[in-house]
Amino acid sequence: MTLLTSDDDYDDEGFRTCSVTGLDIHQTAEGPVKLFGLTAVIAMLIGGIFALTVATTRWEVIGLLGPGDFYQHLTLHAWNLLIFWMVFMEIAILYVGGPMVLGRRLPLTIAAKAGWVLMVVGALVINVSVFTAGGFPNENAPLLTGYVPLESPPAFYAGVVVFILGAVVAALPFFLTLWRERREFPSRSLPLVAFGAFITSIIAFEALVGGLIAFVYALLWRIDVLGSVDAAFYRQMYWTIGHGSQQINLAAMVTVWYFLTHVVGGAEVVSQKVSRTAFILYLFFINLGAAHHLMSDPVVSSGWRLFNTSYAFYGAAFASMIHAFAIPAGLEAGRRKRGKGGGLLGWLTSAPWTNPVFSATIFSIILFGFVGGITGVVMGQMQVNMTWHNNFATVGHFHGTVAVGTTLAFMGLVFFVIRTMFKRQLAFPRLASLQPYFYAGAMGIAVLMMMYVGLLYGIPRRTVSIVQNIPGTNFDFAAAAPLFAILGVFAILAIVAGAAFLLVAVASLLVGDRVTSPADNADLVPDGGAEDEGKPLHAYEMRGTFFFVLIFMAVFVLSYVANWWFLSELWSVGL
Amino acid sequence: MTSPLDTPDDDWWNTKINRRESLWLGISGLWSILIFGWMSAYTRIGDQNPIGETFETSPEEFQQAISEYQSAASERDDGAIVPADTDVYIAGLQWQWLGTPVVLEAGTEYDMHLSSLDVQHGFSIRPRDSLSKHMNFQILPGYEWVLPMEFDETGTYDIVCNEFCGTGHRTMHGTLEVVEEL
Repeated sequence: MTLLTSDDDYDDEGFRTCSVTGLDIHQTAEGPVKLFGLTAVIAMLIGGIFALTVATTRWEVIGLLGPGDFYQHLTLHAWNLLIFWMVFMEIAILYVGGPMVLGRRLPLTIAAKAGWVLMVVGALVINVSVFTAGGFPNENAPLLTGYVPLESPPAFYAGVVVFILGAVVAALPFFLTLWRERREFPSRSLPLVAFGAFITSIIAFEALVGGLIAFVYALLWRIDVLGSVDAAFYRQMYWTIGHGSQQINLAAMVTVWYFLTHVVGGAEVVSQKVSRTAFILYLFFINLGAAHHLMSDPVVSSGWRLFNTSYAFYGAAFASMIHAFAIPAGLEAGRRKRGKGGGLLGWLTSAPWTNPVFSATIFSIILFGFVGGITGVVMGQMQVNMTWHNNFATVGHFHGTVAVGTTLAFMGLVFFVIRTMFKRQLAFPRLASLQPYFYAGAMGIAVLMMMYVGLLYGIPRRTVSIVQNIPGTNFDFAAAAPLFAILGVFAILAIVAGAAFLLVAVASLLVGDRVTSPADNADLVPDGGAEDEGKPLHAYEMRGTFFFVLIFMAVFVLSYVANWWFLSELWSVGL
Repeated sequence: MTSPLDTPDDDWWNTKINRRESLWLGISGLWSILIFGWMSAYTRIGDQNPIGETFETSPEEFQQAISEYQSAASERDDGAIVPADTDVYIAGLQWQWLGTPVVLEAGTEYDMHLSSLDVQHGFSIRPRDSLSKHMNFQILPGYEWVLPMEFDETGTYDIVCNEFCGTGHRTMHGTLEVVEEL
């Protein structure tokens, strides 16, 4: 494990100063960040392999797998990418946002290690139990949701419980770090990144508790302690973690946006008040979004649905729109302040676009907002949801948020950690530089196709070979085949781009040139660290950002109107 | 300090906000209220709302209700069910839609009683000649959902299952036919 513990430049107390961020980093925090980051990358490799088999099955021209195998592969694709890749990264982000940003040691390192072990054991149990599941009738693949009363292997539910407990244990050192910080400096505000990480951790805690309730309940039923299960209760508790975990991704990703735009782009915080208020709105309202999955359900009342799906009158969507201005504005004002911003968009065109950490972050912001964010709010409108529920457009939505948005931000973060903590130059620098463009482009188009096949043709998600032929009827979805061809090609290209990320990451760790002095990482520091303490930040122009958010709002309004028009064309339903 | 990595200045709460940022706060706040208002208003003024009464039931009870409904209903030559009144019962069962095929009349409001006799299913329905018009609902065992529906166009409507319900999921299909007059 020398990779994880190279410690030649720590001082006597175990601290070193990062030459790129200026943070005082303690060795107790750095080791776990590397460990969780590396584990996340391995999960991505496993999930990525299943991405290939899933994509080549749904593209029925290839039609790789039959039904039995397909549902297993789909389950493993989802758990490894949507859960393991994300959550391992998020624990690493907590350790960066807490101890590293605050310049503290990581307390209770035993909990970090124990949490990691539990999470890995849970992840392995889930992978093995799904891969060896016997299928119908009582060992069905659970997919991501494990909807009761469809029965999956009992070990699967147990694995999930262990994984969730592991994540809770791994988060403890972070909470303790903040506790100690407050004890030492009771009246000092946290830095924004630490504040964002703190909000993320509370949202995560709520989600994990909901997940424990859902999966312990299902496990007890599966091992016959409970005689029956209530499908509606399970759905409500499941989605506390099912969508809550995606809110963890969101809050962590937004925190990473503030972090990376600052350290490699020179962004600053244009208004602490506004950005922190947005995080507070997340804290109060974002987890209500779990209700998005129950919009087309019986049981829950329409009042309950309206309140929750709107995060209480769109409190959390409002928060996201605040970040959508604040982050690019931070980049704009920060760069103008240092003389890097001529005209409307000079601050953007002069940015370090060949640095993959920067380009991955910017593509993450743009695509998450335009693709994942807008569709999430639109499909979360109670009535519009009828035309999205369980069809491929939903798959498009969450690939827009997670596979494009969050994954790109985390890819950028992994590159950054390789440079600054593993102290390696990126291998294949040209490929590394192009990778975010390649991935964002291919995945972006694949996501649009997913939405089109879902909305325009009503293609169901989670099914196999249905487009060309549905057994027992002459009905089919063959009209959607041309769009599936585009989807298939771009999905495969996106997977190749994902493989390029893994190649660069792994090759950098194994054979990348060592970073031995600050000069080796000087290219990461925006504009060579040029500083110009001029007027206060809010006094700088933000018209470039304003131009972008107006385009964003126009697209939002158009998508909204189009979806409602689409709905109003249907026959009448409901009270 | 304006770095997100540093402790902010003591008076950070009182620092001015750029006027374009204030303007954006106004625009996005207004939009948030507007879309909530529209969604809420549509439950009163709109024709498409996923709202219906829910009743607790059990697979046995619902099976019983379907049997009674079917014995009261008549049957067309091709075996399609013609309901006796405006109540229509459809249940998901691995891997078929019980209660289909069924023949309904355009312009009449029916109460669709939807439930499942085993696991969760997805009731996804569209007219065969216009795939872009589709509605999708979650169907749960143990709950009967009564959704009023009124079809205005005649033709064959295909129902597929769009919630994973086991290996045979993709074969789960049923039809509903809407005719001018019964």
